[in-house]
Amino acid sequence: MPGRALAATVQTLLLLVVVIGLVMLPIVLALPDPRGAVAMFLFGPLADLRHLGNIIEIATPLMFTGLAVALMFRAGMFNLGAEGSFFLGAVFATFAALRLPLPDWAMAPGAVLFGACAGALVCLIPGVLRARFGASELVSSLMLNYAALFLGLYVVNYVLRDSDAGAMLSYRLPAAARLARILPGTRVHEGVLAALGACVLGAVYLFGTRAGYEARVVGANPGFARHLGIRITVVAATVQALGGFIAAAGGAVELQGMYLRFSWQGLPGQGWNGLVVAILAGNNPLLVPPAALALAWLQVGGDLLARNYEVPAEVVGLVQALVILVATATALRRAFRPQRLWAFRSTGRERRDVA
Amino acid sequence: MWHELLLHLGGGAFLAAVLRVTTPILLAALGALISDRAGVINIGIEGIMLAGAFAGVVGSAATGSAWLGLAGAILAGCALGAALSFAVHTLKADLVLSGIDLNLACASGTVLLLYALTGDKGMSGSLASKVLPTIDLPLLDRVPVLGAAFGHQHVLTWASLLAVPLVSVLLLRTRFGLRLRAVGENAEAAAIAGVRVARTQFAALVLSGAFGGVAGAFLSMGYVSWFTGGISAGRGFIAIAAEVMGGGMAAGAFLSALVLGAAEALATDLQGIGLPSELMQTVPYIVPVIALVLHAARRRGG
Repeated sequence: MPGRALAATVQTLLLLVVVIGLVMLPIVLALPDPRGAVAMFLFGPLADLRHLGNIIEIATPLMFTGLAVALMFRAGMFNLGAEGSFFLGAVFATFAALRLPLPDWAMAPGAVLFGACAGALVCLIPGVLRARFGASELVSSLMLNYAALFLGLYVVNYVLRDSDAGAMLSYRLPAAARLARILPGTRVHEGVLAALGACVLGAVYLFGTRAGYEARVVGANPGFARHLGIRITVVAATVQALGGFIAAAGGAVELQGMYLRFSWQGLPGQGWNGLVVAILAGNNPLLVPPAALALAWLQVGGDLLARNYEVPAEVVGLVQALVILVATATALRRAFRPQRLWAFRSTGRERRDVA
Repeated sequence: MWHELLLHLGGGAFLAAVLRVTTPILLAALGALISDRAGVINIGIEGIMLAGAFAGVVGSAATGSAWLGLAGAILAGCALGAALSFAVHTLKADLVLSGIDLNLACASGTVLLLYALTGDKGMSGSLASKVLPTIDLPLLDRVPVLGAAFGHQHVLTWASLLAVPLVSVLLLRTRFGLRLRAVGENAEAAAIAGVRVARTQFAALVLSGAFGGVAGAFLSMGYVSWFTGGISAGRGFIAIAAEVMGGGMAAGAFLSALVLGAAEALATDLQGIGLPSELMQTVPYIVPVIALVLHAARRRGG
């Protein structure tokens, strides 16, 4: 039913415009130059190549974590470990680049792979604990995010720390570990291609393989899945391992693409942003890239506002929170259908929906 | 070194530290408990703690009274509990996602408001906020161990201890508690029996928000005397773990919170004797996972 999917997308977009308008209006009106601020927020990110590049740079990690969350949510797993996976993925990619004897040609992919495997544990452990013991994956993944943070800081401080640097920084990454820039004049790197590829593969997995079908059935109706003889525990563990792997690969790619050394002192929040992306994308891997780009556009706009006006970039966080609320509020969607604009033609369909 | 450590762990100073660390976890766990028994577990309690910590600092700085600051924190918590109920009952959004969403909104919202009020995004140092008092029990001072443990505790620490039996009585011995548990047990059956499900869950979420607000006020008006972004540092999530471990009972939540608080206090002390502080800081987050697994395994086995 592509028509209905399109209608749902249009509806979400309209709601987003309304919500962003509601949050930004009072803030912007308080500024000396409201019209200029709005123009900068909306069109500044699109104005030149550098800012377009910023959008793509910011969207790259969002695609990874968004895809990770979308896959896990699709299987009905409320696993929020993407945050910790992303962080540990970056830490262990740094570890691999600095400490493992990898040849130059294998350095960059090897470090991503190593980071992805190590970081996957943050999502896998709650998955296994859920499958094996029935412990809530929601609560244990929330806890493990913080455990991953401090474990990662320990590794950075005791194993990777550059004692010549004043702050807690790792040694510089070797040049071979860094991902190549692909768009002159910007910092866009190979990672975005990997992200897009991962989203396509995620769609193939979810809609084109038996394992993906089983994951969707488990997510949609666990009772029916049991009836079909699907081994729910295996599906749950697999999909969470996969989600953790993707999120952690995102952390590794972000680090190797955008940084000279590991410098994060806290959780970067990309797991939470990934949650917003997944919700915007309706947990559909193919819609993850546009959702990530939309969110990145917002963030670049917010950064521009923060730099040029007295508006903290945290405004974007508030907008994101409202976006989640609007995108998940089923009552709001029912009351605000674009079909209503031509209501006399669609009353029949409307009735059927209610029934 | 180990000998001294063991002596220290048996001493009153360590017990006092455990109680202090347990206080915010316990208060938030009781809040989570009330919402969970009504069938609407409040994942947003982490964000509500942030808002409470912020409202306490701003309220006490504006009014010059620590107690009015506390009232502000409670009010903020109640309002956010009501907002969560609005999202879940009126907008029909998903409960867990709305809770997470509340956390995200509070994380950026408090920093934004702090900036709007002080021009500083980092901390509230420029606000002349007040601190809630500790209660000194001079007679107890003469008793070894107990004197050091209970002699100079924060008023909210005492309040949290007192709240354990109160919440227990509220849930198990009152009409409201009976309705609340009925709704949480089986909402449809409760509705047929004439209980207004949405209204009961609204009340549970507002009450749960009040506890979250007090827990936050303790952080910024007791633990320390200022507000910084992210001051709750996952304690709301630890509290939810404590509530789940406690098996839905107030006394269970108390014991779990005490265990988790002891883990945190112990981790702080072990840093002091030279163990890597980063590894010790993972302890308060790993212990709840282990306890959750033990709890779930026991429930499944028995």
